[in-house]
Amino acid sequence: MALGNITQVSSRRSFMLMGCGALLGLLMAGYSLFTARGTSTLVVPPEDVALVNQQPISRLDYLQQLQTLYGVDLRHATATQRRTVLDDMIREELFVQRGKELDVASTDPDVRAAMVNSVEQEIAADATTAQPTETQLHAYYAAHRARYASEGIMSVRDYVFPLSESQGAAEAAEALRANIPTPALLARWHGVDSGKAADEEFYFAVKIHLGGALFEAASTLPDGAASVPIVGSDAIHVLYMFKNKKPVPFDFDAARDRVLNDLRNDAIGHLRTGDEAFLRKRANVLIADDVR
Amino acid sequence: MRITVLLSASGCLIAAVWLHQSQLEGRLLRTEPNSIPANAALMGFALQRGGALFEAHCATCHGLAGQGDPRRGVPTLSDADWLYGTGSVSDVEQVIKYGIRSHHPKAWNLAIMPAYATPRPSARDGKIPPLSPQNIRDLVEFLMREQGRSADGAAAARGAGLFAGAGGCYDCHAVDGKGDAAIGAPNLTDGITLYGDGGRESLFMSIAYGRQGLCPAWVGRISPAGIREAALFVHSLSHPNSLARPQAPAANSASAAAAAAAAAAAAAAAASG
Repeated sequence: MALGNITQVSSRRSFMLMGCGALLGLLMAGYSLFTARGTSTLVVPPEDVALVNQQPISRLDYLQQLQTLYGVDLRHATATQRRTVLDDMIREELFVQRGKELDVASTDPDVRAAMVNSVEQEIAADATTAQPTETQLHAYYAAHRARYASEGIMSVRDYVFPLSESQGAAEAAEALRANIPTPALLARWHGVDSGKAADEEFYFAVKIHLGGALFEAASTLPDGAASVPIVGSDAIHVLYMFKNKKPVPFDFDAARDRVLNDLRNDAIGHLRTGDEAFLRKRANVLIADDVR
Repeated sequence: MRITVLLSASGCLIAAVWLHQSQLEGRLLRTEPNSIPANAALMGFALQRGGALFEAHCATCHGLAGQGDPRRGVPTLSDADWLYGTGSVSDVEQVIKYGIRSHHPKAWNLAIMPAYATPRPSARDGKIPPLSPQNIRDLVEFLMREQGRSADGAAAARGAGLFAGAGGCYDCHAVDGKGDAAIGAPNLTDGITLYGDGGRESLFMSIAYGRQGLCPAWVGRISPAGIREAALFVHSLSHPNSLARPQAPAANSASAAAAAAAAAAAAAAAASG
């Protein structure tokens, strides 16, 4: 069939080409309609090893599973190993899909907890891909500088005196300011080491061991100082500070790692709050009158 | 008329290129990842694109040449020391896809270095006790000794006891201190330090205040093919003899493109040769 001179307009040729195009379109549509279910595809994408009701099973996960179960990669896996892993993954996917159909989340507390956790993690994962700039990190560090300091270290002794020895405790405190504590010196006023504070401890440990009130008194003492007598419910305490290394603020470089983590955690917190607010906003929540 | 022919030819060319790239992507994804470095054609294709992805998404932390940054605890990717896995393409791909402590459910997140100078060193494991400053200094001496550096013998001996006992360090770093790549616990005996200069102060800081680096999960943000391409690029950084390894991505895209083109040419030459 001659198409005539291609440089000249031909209505016959135009109609013929249009017809061919339409026919080709119909053939393609028909092929898609009769060879696929609905809008599903019959081709497994290269990044997957299977599609189970159109849900992909990742090739990388499959390879990882092979490695985990048999310690082999795809090249060295036997046909049985490959088949076993794939069957297991297909089975899992089928059961997950069935679980959705049965709405197991409405009844199984473990599934509910896992889903809540999973959604929270998904939100957090979004925040981790955003890399803060150095300016943002510096700004965050400047705004929360108090957080970034070393833990203080102290060597303190807690000497206790009987409640009846208030005068003796005061004299002992005075003596401790001038002398290094010795058992003999303490015995003069019936004082003993409570043993609650160890040789050298971080501030938090001293606070746990001595309690908040004694720790507060101790943290202000310089090296070689003794506190005034502190009357407790059980005894009179006199604290003697051997060494008090107060918290030292970290400079930005030393704190950078923690600043980055804190900034990310804050971002995650904001995202979660935002997501929850959005979910609540679009939800239709009805609350019974008696529990409002 | 000429324009029509030109447009048609251009369209055909674009379609052919697209089809070719799609086929290569398909092959790249279907091929067993650890065998790809031996395939010059696929490597050339992957490195060309993986380098650009690395520059866009990974270089911010790891540096353009994958040199890392010890100040920030960012590992170097150009040596043979791997914190997670063995450095195989599939291991690297797993990290890029799901991340490390990225909050993705499939991320590597089994191990977090406890902060022993806090009342509760590990949020996950309440049985790990805090340590005293002297305990930490003893552990530092132990690590110095294990790395063959000068150390206080008595303190190192006490540190060894803590390492294998109350400190619980052995649980992640193994009894011999050589770490466990299955959970990302570093080898403490090889002198390669992730954080700081490996001196006493930086070791003290790591033990006292803990560490927990993070690598984002790129699944859903980079295509599966892109993730594999980036993994192959990262793999090539530590395997300078692998086929068609290009230069590290340059600071500007023009030189990056030139490097990638050179890599592709080398790959093609290798394939044909």
